[in-house]
Amino acid sequence: MMRTKISLFDICNNIFLLLIALICTYPFLYIFFLSISDGRSIASGDVVFFPKNPNFEAYQYILTNSSLGIFRGLLNSGIYTAVGTVVALLLTYMTAYVLSRKQIKGRFLIMSLFVFTWVFEAGIIPAYIVLNKLGFVDNWLVMIIPNAINVQFLIITKTFLDGLPTELEEAAKIDGANDFQVMSRVFLPISKPILATIGVFYAVFIWNQYLMPLIYLQNPNLQTIQVMLKRLVISSGDSNTAFRTIIQDGIMLNPGNLKAAAIFVAMVPIVLIYPFVQKYFKKGILIGSVK
Amino acid sequence: MITSEGMTPLPRKTVMRRFLAYMNTNKLLLLMLLPGLISLVLFKLAPLGGMVIAFQDFSAFRGVLGSPFVGLEHFQRIFEDPYIWTLVKNTLILAFYSLLFTFPIPILFALLLNEVRVRWIKGSVQSLSFLPYFISSAVMVSILYTLLSPSTGLVNDILARFGLDTIYFMAEPGWFRSNYVLLQVWQTFGYSAIVYIAAMAAIDPSIYESASLDGASRFQQMLHITLPSLKPTIAIMLIISVGNIFTVDLDRILLMYNQSVYETADVIQTYVYRLAFASTGFPEYSYGTAVNLLKSLVAYVLVIGTNKLSTKYSDTRLF
Repeated sequence: MMRTKISLFDICNNIFLLLIALICTYPFLYIFFLSISDGRSIASGDVVFFPKNPNFEAYQYILTNSSLGIFRGLLNSGIYTAVGTVVALLLTYMTAYVLSRKQIKGRFLIMSLFVFTWVFEAGIIPAYIVLNKLGFVDNWLVMIIPNAINVQFLIITKTFLDGLPTELEEAAKIDGANDFQVMSRVFLPISKPILATIGVFYAVFIWNQYLMPLIYLQNPNLQTIQVMLKRLVISSGDSNTAFRTIIQDGIMLNPGNLKAAAIFVAMVPIVLIYPFVQKYFKKGILIGSVK
Repeated sequence: MITSEGMTPLPRKTVMRRFLAYMNTNKLLLLMLLPGLISLVLFKLAPLGGMVIAFQDFSAFRGVLGSPFVGLEHFQRIFEDPYIWTLVKNTLILAFYSLLFTFPIPILFALLLNEVRVRWIKGSVQSLSFLPYFISSAVMVSILYTLLSPSTGLVNDILARFGLDTIYFMAEPGWFRSNYVLLQVWQTFGYSAIVYIAAMAAIDPSIYESASLDGASRFQQMLHITLPSLKPTIAIMLIISVGNIFTVDLDRILLMYNQSVYETADVIQTYVYRLAFASTGFPEYSYGTAVNLLKSLVAYVLVIGTNKLSTKYSDTRLF
């Protein structure tokens, strides 16, 4: 290394940035500490940097008490995310693939229409009228189908496919492969990086949806964890709350740690997959940073 | 139909035969395009068509085709509605404040991060900084509620320990904008910084080496090499942000606001949402769509305009 001297600036800068990283993560840790602490210590304001009398009773309570709907919400969100991501990847990739084939006429027009609908937004009301007519109200497929093609991800995928050599297609065709086989056997395997990138984004996007389930899913049995969170944690405010203080096997559970446990389970899936997929996030923003 | 042979139209039979031959050779590809096309028509184009209800007295029973047209009545109402100006004002102020903070902070963060020589610090700080971007707004707002709660929240607890009055942050109109911007900065700064960090990685290291041989300090190098190299990226990001000035995070506002803070928190999109979905009386679909149509038009002109600008000045098309 050219520069090995450690200056005062270096020390301050490193400490400052570590502080920033701490500020980014501390609120999540704090919520976790609240969720596993004893209710009494929360009430007296003792939980700040460490949990007090750690236990997992709050999690057991919110996940087994079916009247709260948290377990149902988690399960629904999980199913929507898993199915939705697979469907979205399939549809987006197939559409991008065909639109990247030069022999297809009108592909520029189709792409332009996609881009136009992306820049010019019809808004939530006309969308509701159309989806209502199509039977998507109170239908879990509303979380899977209408947003299966995200224009931004379609553009990213098409750009990637445009960059691949056309000789690949010709060679496979000479070997007797049909168009579907060319896509699935030749192009799909080399598209793994782009599929991983947009797959992660689709998954996060579906899991985090709030407006869509709020408007379309009236049936509480279909509701997602994000909407449950709004109902149980945010709307119930400070006084009137869905959670009550209870004492179970000598451990006190109060609204504070029950709410914290609900918040934590809603973000756990993202936090768990985060270390494995963060390199794709970085890539994703670099190719997807334009609108 | 113009064909490659020239301007004279071919006999109908030939055109038909060519069309069939095209369909035949590409039948699998066209079949594969079908789901995408259906999705385009049903979920992207049909809602655009549905916007015609802005010119109708839409009734859910009669449907889009059966409702009577009323011309520009709803648009007239917009200009007579004094509340609209509050909404426009709130939208612009929120957008301006978020621009003011969410724009420079990622640049500063990237510059400071670039100066870090310790690998593990650099890597872990960057990784942790963009974690909040992927956490849902519902979770982020829930955390904010927990931290700011007047009775049990950490912030008010600290205020109380210093003998200060507790503040009900989420219920005071004066605090809404700060809360919104704070949450936005927290959620996005690390993610936005990635673009600048990537741009810095592309700078030729030999420039730094020759500068340090010439006796330039680290600070001088940052000021005279790193920052100028970032100029094009900064320009583009600024253009995008200005083009999107009418875009607010609807999820976040819907989660954060309540009746007591409408004064500062209500924006065009939340008003449209309430007109259709949360109104206690009859949902006002037509009026809501008219309001949204005007907003979309202005936003569209802004985005297209800034796209033109960026094409002209930076050779970068945004889409």
